[in-house]
Amino acid sequence: MQTFIEQLPVVIGALNVGFLQTLKLFAVTLLGAFPLGLIIAFGTLSKIRAISLITQFIIWIIRGTPLMIQLLIVYYFPGLVLHNPIWGGGEQGRFTAAAIAFVINYACYFSEIYRGGIQSVPIGQTEAGLVLGMTRRQIFFHVTLLQMIKRIVPPISNEIITLVKDTALARIIALQEIIWAGQAFMKGSHGISGAIWPLFFTAFYYLVFNGIVTVLLAKFERKLDYFR
Amino acid sequence: MPVLEVRNIRKTFGKTEVLKGIDFMLEKGGALSIIGSSGSGKTTLLRCLNFLERPDAGVITVNGETLLDCSKPSTMSESQIRKKRLHFGLVFQSFNLFPQYTALENVMLAPVLLSKENHVKNFDRSALKSEAEELFASIGLSDRMKNYPHQLSGGQQQRVAIARALIMHPDILCFDEPTSALDPELTGEVLKVIRGLSEKNTTMIIVTHEMEFARDVASHVIFMDSGVICEQGNPQEVFNHPKEERTKQFLSRYSNS
Repeated sequence: MQTFIEQLPVVIGALNVGFLQTLKLFAVTLLGAFPLGLIIAFGTLSKIRAISLITQFIIWIIRGTPLMIQLLIVYYFPGLVLHNPIWGGGEQGRFTAAAIAFVINYACYFSEIYRGGIQSVPIGQTEAGLVLGMTRRQIFFHVTLLQMIKRIVPPISNEIITLVKDTALARIIALQEIIWAGQAFMKGSHGISGAIWPLFFTAFYYLVFNGIVTVLLAKFERKLDYFR
Repeated sequence: MPVLEVRNIRKTFGKTEVLKGIDFMLEKGGALSIIGSSGSGKTTLLRCLNFLERPDAGVITVNGETLLDCSKPSTMSESQIRKKRLHFGLVFQSFNLFPQYTALENVMLAPVLLSKENHVKNFDRSALKSEAEELFASIGLSDRMKNYPHQLSGGQQQRVAIARALIMHPDILCFDEPTSALDPELTGEVLKVIRGLSEKNTTMIIVTHEMEFARDVASHVIFMDSGVICEQGNPQEVFNHPKEERTKQFLSRYSNS
């Protein structure tokens, strides 16, 4: 039986590898879901009724079912139903599948926050832009967007902090993120088994990372304090 | 030739007919005051002129050019209208300055974006800036150019909004109750700026509840009631010798208060 001091570097090393995967999934989800959410928001706000209804239907499906089921479907559907296992079997394939499920899921949540943000900018702002001869696109990017961002920082912050922890769900398709790495020491890994303390360490990783995210978001919120 | 000619403008919202056929003309350099009680259609008329509402019927002609003819759908497309609406400027009741820009940036934003849209080469930003600075001097706010809207009083914000409209050089500058959202002690500074514009023969349409101001500044007055022009004429006629019973009633409500 190794001592704790001997085990610690082994565990930390494994957790770091797992956490890197967690971070990657977190970053890719944000990068994908931020713009995709905006497109979906425009869909629900579309004056063309069919587009608006279809996007609202998609949002209903995605928000109405567990992310865990969506992960399983995205990962297994191509192989089991279409007989075309596009993801391959490796960690890279699992990551791609997880990232796609996460991006779609979070984009739907973001889109509703965006929609609320867009609708909360007074119509007078758009009208002022119109009478000054601006195009709709210019009005959105130069007038509405920043005001919308200012309004959505608090609710988006909530989603981002939830996302940090939701990444753990990717374990269901055996993505080797940090909880997977921590749990491995219970079953046995790197010559260590029956150890639950590495799992507590994973909680610490989440806490610290969410602390950093919270501080950064608060900083960003303050940056937008210069106008009302 | 009149600078603006409006013929038979009609507008219905749902089942409510808000404008029931409006006709009037405005001479270059003239100031038209539109008065009338709330709900008489004044604001809707102004919004139709600025294409924020599409009239159901009617023709709008500026300098002899037909900007909008509801019987010809080709004149009503979004891109057509965007170019034409620059003939008009509009100052809103609620200012609608862009909160994330300084006062100076508010004034310069639209011309900068317009030059981008038109792919203007060698756009002279410094010339635009000095023009904006002159406008700020004319509205008495040279020292507030770097301020954000929330740092300005309502009266100051409205004066910036006027400068923002002026820098687009509209043929006709419209005011939609420009002092209604202001504290009483702040209306004076805004009215003074508008008065100054009329002295420089700026062609204007002013929807207002400030009767005294309407009488002083206007070259022509329209009294609207229930979506029609009930009475119009020069200020002396309409204010001192109204012919219509409804005009008399309306004006007496104001003189009593």
